[in-house]
Amino acid sequence: MTDWTIVTRSLRARLFSTVTTVASVGVAVALMLVLIMMRSAGREAFERGSGNVHLLVSRDASPLVSVLNGLFYAGAPAKPLMFTEYESLKKSLPVDWAVPVQLGDSYEGKWPVLATNEDFYTKFEPAEHTPWQLAQGTWFAKNFEVVVGAQAARGTGLKLGDKIYLTHGTAGSRGAGSVHVHKEYKYTVVGILKPTGTNHDRVLFTNLPSAWIIHAHDRIEREEHKGQPEHEETEAEHANEKLVTEADLIPEDRKITNIFMRVLTRPGADVGALIPVVMEQMRRDPAFAASPLTVAGPSREIARLMDIVGNIDQILFAMAVVVMVSSGVGIMLALYNSMEQRRRQIAVLRVLGASQPRIFGLILTESAMIGIFGAIAGIGGGLLGAQVAAAVMRERLGLFIDPTLPARGLVAVALGTLALACFAGVVPAVMAYRTSVAKSLRPLV
Amino acid sequence: MTNAEPAAAHHATSALRVSNLRFAYRGADGGFTLRVHDLTLARGEQMLLSATSGGGKSTLLQLIAGLMEPDSGTIEVLGRNVHAMRGAARDRYRGAHIGMIFQTFNLLQGFTALENVLAALMFSEVPPGEHRARAAALLTSLGITRHERLVEQLSVGQQQRVAVARAVACSPAVVLADEPTASLDPENAGVAIGLIQQACREKGAALLCVSHDPAIAARFERVQKLADLGGATSPGPQEAAR
Repeated sequence: MTDWTIVTRSLRARLFSTVTTVASVGVAVALMLVLIMMRSAGREAFERGSGNVHLLVSRDASPLVSVLNGLFYAGAPAKPLMFTEYESLKKSLPVDWAVPVQLGDSYEGKWPVLATNEDFYTKFEPAEHTPWQLAQGTWFAKNFEVVVGAQAARGTGLKLGDKIYLTHGTAGSRGAGSVHVHKEYKYTVVGILKPTGTNHDRVLFTNLPSAWIIHAHDRIEREEHKGQPEHEETEAEHANEKLVTEADLIPEDRKITNIFMRVLTRPGADVGALIPVVMEQMRRDPAFAASPLTVAGPSREIARLMDIVGNIDQILFAMAVVVMVSSGVGIMLALYNSMEQRRRQIAVLRVLGASQPRIFGLILTESAMIGIFGAIAGIGGGLLGAQVAAAVMRERLGLFIDPTLPARGLVAVALGTLALACFAGVVPAVMAYRTSVAKSLRPLV
Repeated sequence: MTNAEPAAAHHATSALRVSNLRFAYRGADGGFTLRVHDLTLARGEQMLLSATSGGGKSTLLQLIAGLMEPDSGTIEVLGRNVHAMRGAARDRYRGAHIGMIFQTFNLLQGFTALENVLAALMFSEVPPGEHRARAAALLTSLGITRHERLVEQLSVGQQQRVAVARAVACSPAVVLADEPTASLDPENAGVAIGLIQQACREKGAALLCVSHDPAIAARFERVQKLADLGGATSPGPQEAAR
């Protein structure tokens, strides 16, 4: 029999109170951990996802929107750019490379389709210093070939050689009437990518002419039906339609939505300083005066986004601290309430020879134990919660989050909880210390 | 004032010596002044101190145990002045040399019979390695066989035995028994006193039993009235007259 026996007996004797108090501490710790983990993991995911792009050109309403649409597939970009505009920009600017990209189509309304050229997989890296890698097959070489991102492949079950149709528009795009499946054009899966741990993993990739042909088909159809009342296409009409080829494309068909750009830099040169110069040059270009371009520096936009989000998570962090403190008050109340019933036990221990500091220590240990169990429960719950939150973010936002907390952080949270629990135990421990033996041993009548 | 060295404590001739004790109590329910001019218990001696209920008996025992402070006078247990010791030192001394038995037993609820005895040894000078065997042997000798039973599951008679075992576990110099039979019928009261006396004798402990139960007086060789030692008086005219 040791002091330890007395502490554990006491905790077990008030099992309900102990469990609920431990649970409340656990919830507070878990909340705190999830917030800390998601904060750093979210920032990393955003910073990682923009890869080695310096500048993102589009006609979206704002730079931030263009980054969210163009690199994180939040929605279809609003207005297109002409391929000719891309070609002239590429010529006039000091770019290392510039990759044309068209977004707006999808597979099964859920998985974004990105049409581009071979520079996309040779020059653009989804995460810096992490080039694309094929798990199976090859990149697209001909029209109507498609390469599937790792997460999309897992989610759709697509395999090499599968024939698929794409949808014009995505589930979330404006004008539901414009969403339709292009049954005329069958794509073949020629490659499956290895995971990159970025938002690009849920995307299907194809070449630009394929995307242009589908849209040209729509244009030609509209022109043929001009003046006629709108009607559902019959099977016969459908069969008679001539398939559009690359030869039928007119310049207006050659649309893109974004340009991924990397400016020329010498090794060690300050890229950050060069970007605004290029942006300014592009803005001043008279060719774009009528319909201005939106030029975004992804890392800068993400930093701005994080500033906004940062304020919110400071509030959340403050709330977590409040929950933490209130769970500390919970420990104090649980022990305080138990003191009334325990006066006699404390008095008996004193009679048997326990000193006041030892009694103080017993109560403080009890409080600390609640803190330790709470911290353990909270760390378990927090790690689990972060995994769930990460899965939701991956599913809903396509953000790849790896919620890990360095061991030092875990130790800090555990020690913090322990300190809080000890602090909460001080008042009950002082009560126990000052328990009057003479008064507490009066016979119960 | 005697303040013997610890080593000298065990050579003292008396187990307990109270001299010129004065303690004034004032509470919501009135007050009294307790006086004990001289009370000495030799080692192993057993004594019944009879007093009317509410006559300051419990107070005297708590003063001896060092749980309350006297206004004046000395209380020596094994030759050491209990009240000359402070804080933890006094608690340690109590744990090592004084055993207490209460009318309501005051066992630790939620703990087993064995643990209740072990709890007394925790604060004693007995080496920890001997605790378990010693407690078990003591319980067995007192007729408790199920050591792992929670005390609240034991009968009143068995609880009494656990309380006795706990009081003598550390081989104290003196056992203080406060109305140990008040909640028992005469027959069981006799049995209980017999147990306490037997246990004290075996451990070599002196026994100071306070009670207002005349039925047990016959069991003690030495019986004194608290009033004869000085006694408790209500403050007021008498106090002023002296």
